[in-house]
Amino acid sequence: MTDLTPITALGGTSARVQKFGALTISENTELGLASLSLRSGQAAPSPFGLILPDIGRSSAIEGFAAFWTATGQWMIEADGQADRDFAKALKSEAPQCSVTEQTDGFVAFEIESIDGAGPINDVMAKLVNIDPLGFDEGSALRTGLEHMSVFLVRRSAGHIAVIGMRTLADSLWHALSTAAARQNT
Amino acid sequence: MLIPHPLLGLRDAQEFTYLGDASLMDRPDPTLDNAETAFCDYVFMRDNPAGVHRELWFHEQGDRSWLVVTRNTITHEILGAELAKDLKLNRKDAQ
Repeated sequence: MTDLTPITALGGTSARVQKFGALTISENTELGLASLSLRSGQAAPSPFGLILPDIGRSSAIEGFAAFWTATGQWMIEADGQADRDFAKALKSEAPQCSVTEQTDGFVAFEIESIDGAGPINDVMAKLVNIDPLGFDEGSALRTGLEHMSVFLVRRSAGHIAVIGMRTLADSLWHALSTAAARQNT
Repeated sequence: MLIPHPLLGLRDAQEFTYLGDASLMDRPDPTLDNAETAFCDYVFMRDNPAGVHRELWFHEQGDRSWLVVTRNTITHEILGAELAKDLKLNRKDAQ
C-alpha cells in the first residue's frame, strides 16, 4: 500500500510553534471538534459531564471543553482526540441531539502569553473588532478576522484560542503571526 | 456602525449582511385566490422611506441569527434590534 504521511493543517509533519516576544502561537493539531445542536423543544444534555455554557461563554472540564456558537448550538472540544472519531463518541453521549464532525473543517491556533492579559489584548485589538477588556476568561464568540470567520475562545487571561477554517490555515497563521510580530516593534 | 444584537450586545455591522425590508417575513398565502397579485406585490413592491425603516439583517460572521433592525435611513441611527425568530413566534402565539 502507498506509504501515506499525515500532515498538519499548515502542511507540516509536526505542529508549528513560533514565539513573538511574550506571545507564543502554536498550531493545536490534537484538538477533536464536533458540533452539537438541540432539536426543537429539547433540553441541553451534559455530554462527558460538561455543563453546556450560556450565550457567548465557554466551559471546560478535564479533557473536554464546550463553547456556545448559536442558540441551542455548541462546539465541543476534546483534547488529544483529533485522530479519533470524536463525533461518534459525542453522539453516544447525546443520542437525541444533532452531532456533526468538525475536526477536519477547522484549524486551531493557541496564542499564549507569558506576561498576562496585556499582550493578548493588544493582539486582539489589532485583529478583531471586539472589546478585548470585555472578552474575559470563559468568553467565546464568532467574528470576522481579515474577512475570515473565526471562533475566539478566551481560555484564560493570558491564553486565547483562534479556531478558523482549515482551508485558510495559512492565511490565518499569516494574520496572527504578523499582528504578533508587530507587538514587539 | 454597531448593531445591538439582542443576545450578543453591540457588534460591528461588518459582521452582518443585509437582506431588505422586514415585510419580507410576511410571505403571502399561496393558496388564496389573490395569490398572484399578492406575490407580485411581495416580490416587486418596496417602500423606500426617508426615515425609520425596519429591515432584515443576518449575523453571518456571528451566531447566524436573523435580526429585525429598526434604523433611521437619514441619520443611520439604529433604534433597536430584535430576533426575527422571536417576532415570528410571538406573532404565531398571538393568533
